[in-house]
Amino acid sequence: MAAFASLDSETADLIPPGKAHLRDSTQDGARSLETFLASVERKAFRIAQIALRHEADALDVVQDAMMQLSTRYASRPPEEWRPLFYRILENRVRDVQRRRSVRNRVMAYLPWRGEDEEDPVDPIDQAVDKAPAPPAQLESDEAMAALEQAIAGLPARQRQAFLLRNFEGLDVAETAATMKCSQGSVKTHYFRALQALRAKLGEFRT
Amino acid sequence: MSVEQADGGSEFEQQARALLEQSAEQLPGAVRSRLTQARYAALAAQPARRLSFARRWVPAGAAVAAALALLVVYVPHMREAAENPNPLVTAGLANAGLEDIELLTDSDAVPLNGDQDMDDDFYEWAADEAAGATAPAVGS
Repeated sequence: MAAFASLDSETADLIPPGKAHLRDSTQDGARSLETFLASVERKAFRIAQIALRHEADALDVVQDAMMQLSTRYASRPPEEWRPLFYRILENRVRDVQRRRSVRNRVMAYLPWRGEDEEDPVDPIDQAVDKAPAPPAQLESDEAMAALEQAIAGLPARQRQAFLLRNFEGLDVAETAATMKCSQGSVKTHYFRALQALRAKLGEFRT
Repeated sequence: MSVEQADGGSEFEQQARALLEQSAEQLPGAVRSRLTQARYAALAAQPARRLSFARRWVPAGAAVAAALALLVVYVPHMREAAENPNPLVTAGLANAGLEDIELLTDSDAVPLNGDQDMDDDFYEWAADEAAGATAPAVGS
């Protein structure tokens, strides 16, 4: 909270002494934005991670989305933050996917294929954990891995609709605002996503 | 297993949600730390909240409107006064000018310009009179 305290003092310095009510409203705004970001950051990271299948890229995407919301849209009413944030997040995810696609196409034409740029394998990561995992946890991990893989294999709009509706809990109208499409399209994408996931996973055995 | 629930969707949807939420809650410490740092960085980059358009321009607009209202009220009045001067006021001003000239040219008026016109003989006489009045009369 030290960083937040310094943020309070920095923003407070910009406000004239006779305008204490403005200082209070600015601090309230910063606190409510912090509360909002704290409430969405983990789910946003998981959504980005499932889409990108890469932890560092997912972290970068979430940080960019937070930064853009804070610098450009913090003055908007707080009820607009959630759809705005997820729209920014999805745009960033798409940017990363496009860059990867271009890079992969370029790399396909190069003779050496960038083998030297592969991340070195960490032997600790590769080591087998000898401790027996609890059966329930193991089943849950397996189910999560299967679900994550199945969601990642969905078309982008279906994946987006499923994660926003099912995981983030946005209603149809908010999801439509986030995806910039009609509510009917949201329902269609969500229904098709459910069908595809059921077909791939069957029912969970938890 | 595909029984539809009254709320929250089918069992499949509920189980998927539970798994996803569990994975979000069990993020590694390093990831949670990076997310917290990202949040603080975003908050620190937040620009200071500016005054709203109304707060900035309403006082200036009110001042301009007040100035315009004064002009609207007083300019016709002043123009009318210039075109139709009040005869009483005009005569008063003319008389005042004449009285000033008479005061300045009056030779019997009290001198107002210091020692230049001081009547030395008068002051000497007045001093003698005062001395004579206080001293006892000879032979009385």
